[in-house]
Amino acid sequence: MELPIKISKDSREPIYHQIVNQFKALIAGGHLTTGTPLPSIRALSKDLEISIITTRRAYQDLEVQGFIQTLQGKGTFVAELADDLKQEVKVSSVHKIMENAIETALNYDYTLEQVKDIFLEILHTYPKGKGDH
Amino acid sequence: MEPLLYIADLEKQVMDDFHLGPINLKLEPGTITALIGNNGSGKSTLLKTIMNLVKPDHGNIKIDNMFVHGENENWKRLVAYQPQTIIGWDAFTGEMLKKLIAPLYPDWDEALFQKMVELFEVPLGKKFAKLSQGVQQKLNLALTIPRNAPLLILDEPTSFMDIPSKKLLIDLLVEWMESGNRSILIASHQIDDIKKLSDYLFVLHNGKMLGHFEKEELTSTYARYWLRDSLSDTRIPGEVTREDRMIISDNPMETEAYLEAKGIQWSNRSSLELDDIITILLNNKKM
Repeated sequence: MELPIKISKDSREPIYHQIVNQFKALIAGGHLTTGTPLPSIRALSKDLEISIITTRRAYQDLEVQGFIQTLQGKGTFVAELADDLKQEVKVSSVHKIMENAIETALNYDYTLEQVKDIFLEILHTYPKGKGDH
Repeated sequence: MEPLLYIADLEKQVMDDFHLGPINLKLEPGTITALIGNNGSGKSTLLKTIMNLVKPDHGNIKIDNMFVHGENENWKRLVAYQPQTIIGWDAFTGEMLKKLIAPLYPDWDEALFQKMVELFEVPLGKKFAKLSQGVQQKLNLALTIPRNAPLLILDEPTSFMDIPSKKLLIDLLVEWMESGNRSILIASHQIDDIKKLSDYLFVLHNGKMLGHFEKEELTSTYARYWLRDSLSDTRIPGEVTREDRMIISDNPMETEAYLEAKGIQWSNRSSLELDDIITILLNNKKM
């Protein structure tokens, strides 16, 4: 199975960490549901062009944090997540992306006030009512 | 975990002008190691020494804890070795070769052999000598991988094969590794083999071992910087090469500490592709 996971080798974030965070987002966002089988460590290593040492470390982290589980002889599956854990991942991943965006803007010498304007400007390009519940 | 292959202080003088070693290498079960080096770096000699086809002058080689040059030859059923060139197969057809080889290996996987022959479209009724070099390699692989020996040693197995077949082989090997306790040592110049298959890189240069690297550890050792200002001629700590305002470092931490201390800014930092790193390793030879 091909997963929408993309790693950036230029990022300062360690590769195993990028994998862990993207899996968390896919699971918390409901793109990977409970019980979905995950690719084997060897197969994912091939797809991402990394060593099994890195992939194994990512899977171990995800397992310890309760996002996936390995069944002996059967493979690795998405685990059942508590709602508060899902919520936590959602909040922290959205925050992180916003923080990165602001950081990038500040690196380009924008002021906080200008960043706010850009944010509002982008927000206005979305049709009214989108994302309402 | 007990290493499947263990090489310690191996040395071999070949003729007057080539010296291999000292080589130290351990392969753990479940891992794939790419054997990389310039032409004539001793890759094939090393593989032949592992197979006890070349006698070392010094050092030890063990497969699953058995000396390969000892009396006990039980280690042989634990290895499937595909040499670069095969002597003696020319007069035989693929079908005949399979009937000769399969009975020697108790774990021979006939279904895998049939699958590979079909995927690679190998004509089993044709004499080996009549096949093109690429098809010879495909048949050779189909006669090697299904032996299901825990240690698979491949010496430039795909050099003549077409691109789709190379991709097929990578997928086959990934699947073959799923059993968990197997290892592959593959000598290759194919960047895709190195990127998609290998966990470790073992690098040789003119018989000398430059290192045994875990892939991401190696990539994280290198970085490329584009500086905002031009530099004086002084060598920067970690600097490997430079071109105008671009420098490559094999010690990003030291390089950045120096640049920061000197107040030199960089506009971009990126990682290097594996083939660039291999080129640097083989050209600079310094470790």
